[in-house]
Amino acid sequence: MGEVWRVAIIDSLNKFLGKVITFFPNVLAMMTILILGLIIAWVFKKILFYFLKTIQFDRVSKQWGFADILSKGGVTYSPAHLLSRFFYWIIILITLILGINALEVAATQNFIAHFFNYLPNLFAGILILVIGYLIAIFLGQATLIAAVNAQMESAKLLSRIVRWFIIILSLTMALYHLGIAEKVIVATFSITFGGIVLALALAFGWGGRELAKDFLERYYKGREKKGEGEDHISHI
Amino acid sequence: MKTPFQGQLEEVREADILVGIPSYNNSHTIGHVIRAVMAGLAKYFPKAKAVLVNSDGGSTDGTQEEVRRVQIEDYKTILTSHPVHPIHKIITPYHGVPGKGSAFRTIFEAAKSLKAKACVVVDSDLRSITPEWIELLVRPVFEEGFDYVAPLYARHKFDGTITNSIVYPLTRTLYGKRIRQPIGGDFGFSGKLANFYLTKEVWETDVARFGIDIWMTTLAIAEGYQVCQSYLGAKLHDAKDPGADLGPMFTQVVSSVYYLMGEYQTLWEQGFTSQSVPTFGFHYEVGLEPVSVNVERMIGNFRLGVRDLIEIWRKVLPAETTRWLESIEKLSDEAFFLPHDLWVRLIYEFAIAYHQGLVHREHLLKSMIPLYLGKVASFVKENVDSSAIEVEKKIESLCQVFEGMKPYLVERWKKGE
Repeated sequence: MGEVWRVAIIDSLNKFLGKVITFFPNVLAMMTILILGLIIAWVFKKILFYFLKTIQFDRVSKQWGFADILSKGGVTYSPAHLLSRFFYWIIILITLILGINALEVAATQNFIAHFFNYLPNLFAGILILVIGYLIAIFLGQATLIAAVNAQMESAKLLSRIVRWFIIILSLTMALYHLGIAEKVIVATFSITFGGIVLALALAFGWGGRELAKDFLERYYKGREKKGEGEDHISHI
Repeated sequence: MKTPFQGQLEEVREADILVGIPSYNNSHTIGHVIRAVMAGLAKYFPKAKAVLVNSDGGSTDGTQEEVRRVQIEDYKTILTSHPVHPIHKIITPYHGVPGKGSAFRTIFEAAKSLKAKACVVVDSDLRSITPEWIELLVRPVFEEGFDYVAPLYARHKFDGTITNSIVYPLTRTLYGKRIRQPIGGDFGFSGKLANFYLTKEVWETDVARFGIDIWMTTLAIAEGYQVCQSYLGAKLHDAKDPGADLGPMFTQVVSSVYYLMGEYQTLWEQGFTSQSVPTFGFHYEVGLEPVSVNVERMIGNFRLGVRDLIEIWRKVLPAETTRWLESIEKLSDEAFFLPHDLWVRLIYEFAIAYHQGLVHREHLLKSMIPLYLGKVASFVKENVDSSAIEVEKKIESLCQVFEGMKPYLVERWKKGE
């Protein structure tokens, strides 16, 4: 009986030791990956930061209004600092995933494969959002200035409409790209956009019929009587 | 392969005087301009070999045909002498960015190719040009050794507001020469200077459009060429809708001025006082066409700008300047007044912001238009009952504020670098 117990215990211990010996190189590999990843992330962060400083990324960000948004959101880092930290954490994340993958645990393998397949979509989604946001800020500002110079009282409203339209459009595109509720997103956007256009058409054509008539009359009569009330100074 | 333009230039070979006329749909006025130019050349330079180059932007109203058609049939009816050489006409479309600057580039190329000694450019929409303009713009170059002749006109007291409130005071402050009409549009220059202009790569920028005039004037002064001005009398040109042209005109001129400030920073940073330049021509009083100005609309545009664009301006202006603007916005139409020192500060701060690229440059310049209209409205209100001489004194006092605040510009500019 005692022999049976001894064999059973030693056998299981041997099996455990065997597994530990097989698993130990994986742990070493994981640790090596993590240490290397940390070093690479740190070096990359430094290089990227100096590169962004050299190309005056902070100034460009300020010019595009990106720095303003960050400061309004309470972010005290400069855009160059923030972007280099963002890539630092991305490398850390990838390192962590690679490290876990090196352990060769079956449960994590599938998850990691999915994650890496999804990563390009994630980057594309983020890129669409960032570019969409920058375009929205730029065109919103252009609309505001053009509307003020055209003496439109509702210049700010018009500028906000343009900005939010582009932000919503880029958000829709990003979500569609990420494959999140694709059909719902497209349907929601189509209904919302179509609804807004219809509402505006009805508001202008029905609610503001007199206003529309007055506007068109003034526009065409104004063209006929061009020069009335105009400035005739030569600016140059 | 040789272009028809090059073929025509080779046919003419050489010229003493080249007259360039840029045009775009000016069939109603260009005939008069050409007759005046031909008469001027025949009367004042009968022995010189002259060429007339029409650089056209693709007119569809028969401008080019009009240029070909116009001739002075019998010189005896207007002159006692007769030109020794026939005046050659070269009519060519220009290439590149559509605009006055691109048309000028073609004229510079013709001047280089023909080895012209003296060149003149005159606008094709002029109604007040006389043969004497050609003499006044050519002679200082042809006989007196000058390289650049700027025009000096008699203008309505409310005309030329970009010139009076920005370009003249700023050019004089920065480069030290009192050229009263630096963006007049009609100039005389030497062949040597035309060759120098061609060495610059600016033909894809605003210089290729409305910026050409200030670019030519600034380069002539800054590069040490001999500059002078000639009094031409009244400048009357074809009626346009100035309101429609203000946006691009304003941004192209001001962007060229600001761009040149960056180019010649080391020159204007030096402390010096401005000097007058030699002036040719006989001064006389002329009757000018009245102009109408809608001051209320300009003030309205200024107020709208302060309400809606202040957030953009805050990025480039000190807090005290934006507060000052907000206090002016609250003034009634009757009390509306934009003082000289605030205006000068705005021009300098926007120049620094343009140089630093704090805001997208086109947005920055377009956002200045309500401020400019506010200044024009203030100027018109201030001078409703003033005579032309009194108005000129007010412009002189604005120039002195510009010059007095130059250390502020230099200090702020350096701090921003």
